[in-house]
Amino acid sequence: MDRWRRRFWILLAVVVGVPLLIGIMLAMRFLPDRPVTYANIEDHFKYGSTGGERNAGFPLWMWKALPVVFADKLPKNGGVGYEAFGMVYEEDEHGRRRELPVGMMRRRNLGIDRVFVNCAVCHVTTVREAPDKKPKVYVATGAAHFDLGLLEKFLTDIVVDERFTADVLVPAIEKQSGGRLSLLDRYLVYPVAVALARERLLMLRNRFLPLDFESWGPGRVDTWNSAKAGLNFNISLLPEHERRGATDFPSIWNQHKRKHRDDGKPMALHWTGNNTEVNERNLSAAFGTGATPATVDHAAIERLQNWLLNAAPPPFPFPIDKAKAARGALVYGEYCASCHGKSGQDFSGKYVGHVTPIAVVGTDPDHYASYTYELSASQNTLYAGTPYRFTHFRKTAGYANAPLDGIWLRAPYLHNGSVPTLRELLDPPTRRPTFYRGYDVFDPVRVGFVSDVPEQNGRRFTLYDTSKPTKSNRGHTFGAKLPSADKDAIVEYMKTF
Amino acid sequence: MIAWTPERTRKLRITLVVLFVVLAFGAWFGWYKFFRVVPQPPFDTADERFMYGSIGAEDNAGIPYWILYVLPRVFPDKLPGPNGYASFGLAWEMGKELPIGFTKKTIGFERVANNCAGCHVASYRLSPNDKPKFVPTGPNHTFNLEAFFRFLVDCARDPRFNSTTLMNEINLDANLSWIDKQIYRFVLIPVTRKRLLERGPRFAWIYNHGLPQWPDWGRGRDDAMNLTKYFLTTSPLDDTLGPTDMPSVWNLKKYKTREGTRMNFAGDSWDANSVIIDSALGLLGAAPASNQVFLDEVRWLNKYLDEYQAPKFPFPIDQAKARAGKAVFDANCMRCHWSERTGTVVPVEEVGTDIERIKSWNKDAAIRSNETVKAFGIERRGLVEANPTGYIAAFLDGIWLRAPYLHNGSVPTLRDLLTPVKDRPKIFYRGYDVYDPLNVGFISLEEQAKRLGASWDTVKYVGTPYDVTWRSNGNIGHVYGVDLPPGDKDALLEYLKTL
Repeated sequence: MDRWRRRFWILLAVVVGVPLLIGIMLAMRFLPDRPVTYANIEDHFKYGSTGGERNAGFPLWMWKALPVVFADKLPKNGGVGYEAFGMVYEEDEHGRRRELPVGMMRRRNLGIDRVFVNCAVCHVTTVREAPDKKPKVYVATGAAHFDLGLLEKFLTDIVVDERFTADVLVPAIEKQSGGRLSLLDRYLVYPVAVALARERLLMLRNRFLPLDFESWGPGRVDTWNSAKAGLNFNISLLPEHERRGATDFPSIWNQHKRKHRDDGKPMALHWTGNNTEVNERNLSAAFGTGATPATVDHAAIERLQNWLLNAAPPPFPFPIDKAKAARGALVYGEYCASCHGKSGQDFSGKYVGHVTPIAVVGTDPDHYASYTYELSASQNTLYAGTPYRFTHFRKTAGYANAPLDGIWLRAPYLHNGSVPTLRELLDPPTRRPTFYRGYDVFDPVRVGFVSDVPEQNGRRFTLYDTSKPTKSNRGHTFGAKLPSADKDAIVEYMKTF
Repeated sequence: MIAWTPERTRKLRITLVVLFVVLAFGAWFGWYKFFRVVPQPPFDTADERFMYGSIGAEDNAGIPYWILYVLPRVFPDKLPGPNGYASFGLAWEMGKELPIGFTKKTIGFERVANNCAGCHVASYRLSPNDKPKFVPTGPNHTFNLEAFFRFLVDCARDPRFNSTTLMNEINLDANLSWIDKQIYRFVLIPVTRKRLLERGPRFAWIYNHGLPQWPDWGRGRDDAMNLTKYFLTTSPLDDTLGPTDMPSVWNLKKYKTREGTRMNFAGDSWDANSVIIDSALGLLGAAPASNQVFLDEVRWLNKYLDEYQAPKFPFPIDQAKARAGKAVFDANCMRCHWSERTGTVVPVEEVGTDIERIKSWNKDAAIRSNETVKAFGIERRGLVEANPTGYIAAFLDGIWLRAPYLHNGSVPTLRDLLTPVKDRPKIFYRGYDVYDPLNVGFISLEEQAKRLGASWDTVKYVGTPYDVTWRSNGNIGHVYGVDLPPGDKDALLEYLKTL
């Protein structure tokens, strides 16, 4: 009897205990959903999760392997790895280069570390005070040198490459891991991950291919056609003028002040002023990080949102001529303030946050045309079934008058980034027909990035040709007739913003 | 022989109780997830109720919310344009979850169906950069209803309409519970597909379209009497075709306060109440779940539509000229459009307009339809049990917003209508909503687009082409006033803007 009892217990242990143990191990491996988080809010912004990895995240080692395996598909501009797209790697507290560039978030999900771009990839930039100085990283502004279009082109190109298979990628992943892949990883997890990644990228490719990625250039994105692609609109059937509309990445600081304008209503946000609700705008932008209504991490996004409410732009890092700036304030007050606010801190002004009709402002109309009533209709359905459903998108009649806080760091200028410096903006005849984008050395006199350098240290920059669609530098000729000294003074004053 | 010991009786009792509890729970669960009716939240205004209120169509014709939600994303190739549901030209108020005329109601699960406002809310813009203004009870001249009908059936016929594909898309946007996901995957998606496929054969006649013998309805039109024949009754398909403009349904009181008026373009129906009932039944696609609830809603619609008044012309009117136009009107138009004759049938031989619409309806169809509605247990005066012989002389209230003109919408503007037939536009575009106050109608031709600063490419891209040489599209007839001197025509147009 005792022997049978012992046998029973052994059998029970084998039949129930072992599968249970395996089950627990698998659950511990595959069930956790844990973002990498940061106590410091700026680090959270640069590297923190929006939840998009759950939907769009690449396995970390696969992400690192892609530019190695597909090195021939990278932009041929002398940049190495993701730096070829203008992405920036910081050093960690030990002075070592970080594993991921700024703007990449990471989350333990489905048993692997998954990474994807977050808000910072388009809203962090670098500035060098001179060619021999180290780049300084600035958060919550537009990523002036990051070429999102080429990154999307890269990802949608490689997925149809014959090397996008587990046979090629798993060994490359193994190498990135430092040889740490288990049998389970090598024969199950990563082959499945490669298959899933291909499925997702093919969907991206199908929907986004009609976009002309190469026409964006550094610092720009075709926001609304990307939104149409996300909704799987058949973009190639759109009339041509609705099919293109790349604009500069905007700064996103001081959001609280944008909730009120002189008439008490919230300001019209986005370049066309098509939304007045800050939170809605943020969730709309979060689609770009893979965060869909089903995957978004509201808590993480709300933390960013709260910070951005009062995040302030950084001060101009060069000396300012106070007397000249004071003179400039007077001219600015007369010619600019009613549309752009009294100063970089005071956004009051009769027309600030209102929309100026397209014919009056006269700037490139493509972005305006790319935002359609029909798109706004479908946007009403986003986040349906949740309290976050979009209800504020509107087709407007032109472009919004933006406050100019931190304007020095928002170069190049106009919605499409067609004017390299503030000084040129005030002097239409001097606006350059072509210039280069991607170089982060700053010009403190004319205020903007140095844009006449085609190449430096073997890194080639991107030509911006204002004769091309979406890139015209016309319009916004306000103040063009002022004397040269007054223009200098206005620029000096705007350095204080 | 079983011995009924107390032990056995007890066991049986327990078994029965357990069985009962399980069944009761199952029944409750089935009721909760499939049949539980949650009333719509109350509407702030009568207009809101007209535009978004349920008329009971969700029971039979309702489509599960998330299926309807993802269809344009899964099947963009089956849409008439590249803009999601907006491609159908639906009137869509900014900030609203659904287009006007789409109703959301939970019957077990959230369902979306349609109400009258889908076809009876007009939109117009004063300039190409203007936002659309919506007028409840006006004709929806932008909505491509035929394309919408076809879209739903086309999706169901496509192999991509399967649970895996649809759930992949749904899971991107919806946070459904595990149970609800299973319900969608194993019940709602397959059943919806089956139900949509069932519509296919009865829509066969709209799949002929696109040929000169079978023109598309295009934006702003529907083949109302054939819809009645094939969906309210199961008449076999004949080869008739009679697409007509979506009518305005404001101020229905005018029909009720005058003897001898009839409804529908060819006077096929006795009164407004009958038209409301028949049109609503078309949307329900079956007998109402409750006649009492249905007829209450019909009563409300009668009252709302009786009182609603046509909107004023939104551009300046030259009053002196309009007064001069009144004299021209009295001399040339009043006989039919402001007299005992208004609202009654004018023989087609007399008015001379395209005859196909008349041929699309007949006495037998009327008898069958009346029998069907009666069998539902609904009393109404009903359809006129006779072959139609002509067209109704229209009341002209709000005529400015009822472009294009004639029953089949074959004449784009009122100015064109006052032009001899040979000079009326042969091909034009319907469905673009920027208004032309000079010619009184919407921009439909290149000349108008140029004059008003609209992109002709956009007009063509938004609109659907209309060729007057195609069957049922004829722009002949109604040649009254075409020989007036130009000054009189201008004055008459100015007066018509005031109606």
